[in-house]
Amino acid sequence: MKNTFVKNTIGQIISFAASMLLLCLIWQGITLLTKSEIPGPIATWQVAKEMFAEPFYDYGPNDKGIGLQLTASLWRVFLGFGIGSLIAIPLGILMGSSKFMMRLFDPIVQILRPVSPLAWFPLGLLAFKAAAGATIFIITITSLWPTLINTSFGVAHIPQDHKNVSKAFGFSKLKYLTKILIPYTLPHMITGLRLSIGIAWMVIVAGEMLSGGSGIGFFVWDSWNGLSLEKILVAILIIGSVGLLLDKFFNTLKMAFAWENK
Amino acid sequence: MMKNLTQEELELLQTEEIENKDEIAKLLAPPAIKIKNVTVSFKSKKGLYTALKDISLDIKKGEIISLIGHSGCGKSTLMNTISGMVSPTSGEVIANEQLVKGPGPDRGIVFQNYSLLPWLTVFQNIYEAVDSSFKNISKEDKKAIVEKNLKMVNLWEHQHKLPGHLSGGMKQRVAIARAFAINPKILLLDEPFGALDALTKSAMHIELLKLWNLDNRDKTIVMVTHDIEEAIFLSDRVVVLNNGPASTIKEIVDIPLERPRNKKEIVHHPKYKEIHDRLLSLLIDKFSISDY
Repeated sequence: MKNTFVKNTIGQIISFAASMLLLCLIWQGITLLTKSEIPGPIATWQVAKEMFAEPFYDYGPNDKGIGLQLTASLWRVFLGFGIGSLIAIPLGILMGSSKFMMRLFDPIVQILRPVSPLAWFPLGLLAFKAAAGATIFIITITSLWPTLINTSFGVAHIPQDHKNVSKAFGFSKLKYLTKILIPYTLPHMITGLRLSIGIAWMVIVAGEMLSGGSGIGFFVWDSWNGLSLEKILVAILIIGSVGLLLDKFFNTLKMAFAWENK
Repeated sequence: MMKNLTQEELELLQTEEIENKDEIAKLLAPPAIKIKNVTVSFKSKKGLYTALKDISLDIKKGEIISLIGHSGCGKSTLMNTISGMVSPTSGEVIANEQLVKGPGPDRGIVFQNYSLLPWLTVFQNIYEAVDSSFKNISKEDKKAIVEKNLKMVNLWEHQHKLPGHLSGGMKQRVAIARAFAINPKILLLDEPFGALDALTKSAMHIELLKLWNLDNRDKTIVMVTHDIEEAIFLSDRVVVLNNGPASTIKEIVDIPLERPRNKKEIVHHPKYKEIHDRLLSLLIDKFSISDY
């Protein structure tokens, strides 16, 4: 049992390393094809080492370390995602519990869901009179949909058997919520949160490019203006890796709450 | 409230067989369940579907009644009018001298597919039902009730397991323990042993009767089944329903076999064969039962 576990882990590490190697090879190939106009992995690595040597320096508003930019972005994402989830989960429960609420809100959801985050930005600026507020606003409004839809789906599909138990034994509203609705819906909810955080993390880059000031999106734009393609490539890798970690985190969370696997 | 006794019951009272005061009290008591002209219709895509039509039935306190019939004959629906999960379109059901308006803790239900909450342990599954039914007792008392009932079905050592880790028979025992734990006067069983293998099923029959005996045979049990042997072994009367739609009671068959009954011996009883044949012919009049 333990042996297979070790073997699996080693296998996973090896395949991950192979995957990274393949990425670098493709990257190097593109660098060769573009005659080094796009910097290769080695040149990028040199720049990355400098950036990571002192990630938290702060030389005024336009010159900050990559660590500071990243924390600024993460903070905004969690704020926007948090507000979005606080709206999405109760509304999702409401929509899932009643057909009337579903019919009332579903068209609104379907119309607003496909709207690009960039289209929301001016409205955010108007509402908050500040770029920072606008960025959080667009994260909130674009990332809440998957949580909302998954939560309402989960609640709407609670099996009749479970509802019958609640009815037959006279569960109170609170008991129904905590012992049936939430346990049943939680895996759906977390899947929604996982998709939502992915969207939030994608939107932050676009948002910060527009709003400026700080953050990983601003850093990309700033590096483009400073013509440092290496920095942009490092930023892309960081964005990707953080996205991966966020996804893994929610996946682990889902596994922890999935009663089916126990 | 006293009811008028039938001639038959009066005779029974006079015979020497009844020495026990409890049994006299049982006979004199009002029916535990009174189903009066119950009709149940559902709205369906094709229009109004009538499942049950004008059914009347009195069930005595401490009686075990089986509802038997083909699939879709509305036997579960009839039981659900007693549980309060289904309201009759017309007519009324009186249980424990009160008009049934919805489910209540005086009627315990064992569902067909156990209906245990998969994220709660065996203990918690019963505890939540107890917690909902007994408002005015302490947490310790509630836990003691759960413990007593789990021990009764020999599952105390499995209390920390999730239902997913139990066999079908064990799950059914948890469901039965849950129904007994709220100490209902009436126990309603919806095809409780349908999904179990023959051996487990027999063991469960005995176990159910043991629980019923432990409680001085005070609980009234209504069971839905499509198993003739099960119905005969457990019941005092078997109610045979016509095929739907608009099912009615076809016949009520008495099972005058003495209790306690022995699973092995009962099948050799001459009455057993007679009842078995009667029920079989009531159920299978439409179909051939030979293979030619």
